[in-house]
Amino acid sequence: MSSEHRRLPQPSPFRQESYSPGELSGECGKEWQSMKINTNEFVEVAQRELTNKRTRTLLDMISSVVDNLRDSAMSSFPDPSAALEYGRAIRAESLARLPELLDQFEKNAVAHGASVFWARTADEANQFVLDLARKRNIKYVTKGKSMVTEEIGLNDALAADGIDVFEADLGEFIAQLLKRPPFHIVGPAINVPVDEISALFLKKGLIERATQDPVELGAAARRYLRQKFQHLEMGITGVNMAVAETGAIINVENEGNIRFSKSSPKTQVSFMTIEKVVPTMRDAMHLLRLLCRNCTAQKISAYVSMDSGPKKPGEIDGPEELFIVILDNGRSAIYANENLREALRCIRCGACMYGCPIYMKIGGYPYGWAYSGPMGQVVNPLLLGLDRTQHLYRACTLCGKCKSICPGGIDHPKLFLLYRSMDVEGDVQLKGQSRPWLEQKAMNILSCGARRAWHWNAGVKGARPVVNLHARGNVISQMPLLGGWFRCRDLPAVGRKTFRERMKETGQY
Amino acid sequence: MTNPREDIFSRLNSARGTELPQRPFVPPLSEISHDRDRMIRAFTDNLTAQTAVVHHVADFAAAAEKLAEVVAAENIKSVVVSSDAVIRKLDLPEWGRKHNLTVLQAEDCTGREHFKNMVFAEADAAITGADFAIAESGTLCLIHDKDQPRLISLAPIMHIALVPLERLFPVYESAIDRIFGDPHNVPSHVTFITGPSMTADIQGVPFKGMHGPKKLTVILIG
Repeated sequence: MSSEHRRLPQPSPFRQESYSPGELSGECGKEWQSMKINTNEFVEVAQRELTNKRTRTLLDMISSVVDNLRDSAMSSFPDPSAALEYGRAIRAESLARLPELLDQFEKNAVAHGASVFWARTADEANQFVLDLARKRNIKYVTKGKSMVTEEIGLNDALAADGIDVFEADLGEFIAQLLKRPPFHIVGPAINVPVDEISALFLKKGLIERATQDPVELGAAARRYLRQKFQHLEMGITGVNMAVAETGAIINVENEGNIRFSKSSPKTQVSFMTIEKVVPTMRDAMHLLRLLCRNCTAQKISAYVSMDSGPKKPGEIDGPEELFIVILDNGRSAIYANENLREALRCIRCGACMYGCPIYMKIGGYPYGWAYSGPMGQVVNPLLLGLDRTQHLYRACTLCGKCKSICPGGIDHPKLFLLYRSMDVEGDVQLKGQSRPWLEQKAMNILSCGARRAWHWNAGVKGARPVVNLHARGNVISQMPLLGGWFRCRDLPAVGRKTFRERMKETGQY
Repeated sequence: MTNPREDIFSRLNSARGTELPQRPFVPPLSEISHDRDRMIRAFTDNLTAQTAVVHHVADFAAAAEKLAEVVAAENIKSVVVSSDAVIRKLDLPEWGRKHNLTVLQAEDCTGREHFKNMVFAEADAAITGADFAIAESGTLCLIHDKDQPRLISLAPIMHIALVPLERLFPVYESAIDRIFGDPHNVPSHVTFITGPSMTADIQGVPFKGMHGPKKLTVILIG
């Protein structure tokens, strides 16, 4: 979603204390390639972020506040739980009828004069935009905030072809200048301190003297991007909802960057993934209510805009041509698996992130890609494969908070457990790794031993003295081959006899 | 090489269907039962919470006076105006001559670039009508067409909207049903506007006027 307003408390800790640049953000100095996938570095980055004073202060401060804000925004519904359930039902139905709704959406969008382009892969989508930009002799584009274009690395593809890309959402603009991935889906640069933004803007010539005032920095970005908006020839945006009933696409935002990108240029390109479609306008209105309340604790964002085709004859602004790129990028394969399908219900509100005890400790960088927090843990393994996202679906306490608040009705913990089991079983489609030879053998022996009572009893009897060989005092904190398990756990030494043996000895059995 | 559309649809269609889940009852919206006064109050409270200013005047003559007052208080010299039904009724070119203001209109432009220069560089403020006002969140709904260009309500630093009270409705659906009711005659662009442009992207500090207007004033008429 593209709403940027979070009504956070005034973050006084950042204004009063000063931090050395190294402390300010864990990744200071390290230039992220704009959309390099770093999901495999989860543990390392998470450990670094845990000791990052800046990230800790920010997350500790907002965790208590944001969840309450969201709660109170939801309570502005006459019946919040009915509203939540209805939204979940819309998303469930949207997926159940997905092929039919996509077909209907396309027919209606085309009837209004939009051009629909289908793309199987990120490359096909990027290539389409590149060809279009070349044909139209485009020098630069502005982008409204859009996660799907982050997913497919559109900025890099355009830049490689000499077309400048300006992220126009303030948070994305800062993240782009810093060459860093988004910290949060809603606030991509919410963690970057004012000093750092000020230094960055000075270096890029956006301001003439350093400032600690966020408003002044925002005004500088406004001045800079205003020129781009005025002379814009091609604007690129995402889509929050695509309505089958009317063929309209809907964008939700607070800043106006998407409205500019859709009003000023002659050519508009809107990217959506196949699951963005909803049945009716009324459904879209209900989801809009849920999206804004869950995303930024607003009843509605400052701007919601809906397009049905390009501008009509006689209209002086708005695009002469509207292209809607409908991207699959692996989703139809996910759809084919009934157990995985519900992952596509996500409406990108980001509520699960603020609810998550893991995200709230480590922030967004460890997830290593466009999508972070529980929604990233659900989506990334499906899009990137179980092999590259091992730590993501294992980094979960299964507390179920995300599931309880999700307006899409996703059961995140169930999916994480499913990913874990698919990984152990070596699922081919999702590139499950199965287990190392030794672990598999150990499990075989265990299952063999557990099938017959006498096997089990003999095994238990034999294993006890061996296990206790590693006890120091009364605690076992290390055993050969099980280093990983003991990394953060201790085991009390086991008794020489089992409970049942002792019961027998006392004659009460 | 196969067609991407066919590929995607063949995968989707061959996936096993799940049973169509049953929908619960449509959740209630309390605004639907509001009378006119409560709707005005809800609209005003919700929009004022977003730092917009809402005035309520008796008729169009009073609206023109209030408009002059607002413009004078903001020290505005030039306004760009749309030409939808509400605005036409006010005869703003004449009003501008009377109050010594430059009144800019899209119909005087030679084309897109000329128009863009007008809204980006020349106008201090914008005056538009609104096709609907929605009580549940204090939202203005603008239908964009040749009389109501998109950039007028976006590029100038101040936006003033005039709304006759018969256009005030309780919930989004009231507007949406009317706009999209006839599928063959749908406007190319519709916006909901609730307060000025805003952001909180730097450390969660909210401020208005990120890209669009910094101020929004609404004059309710009737």
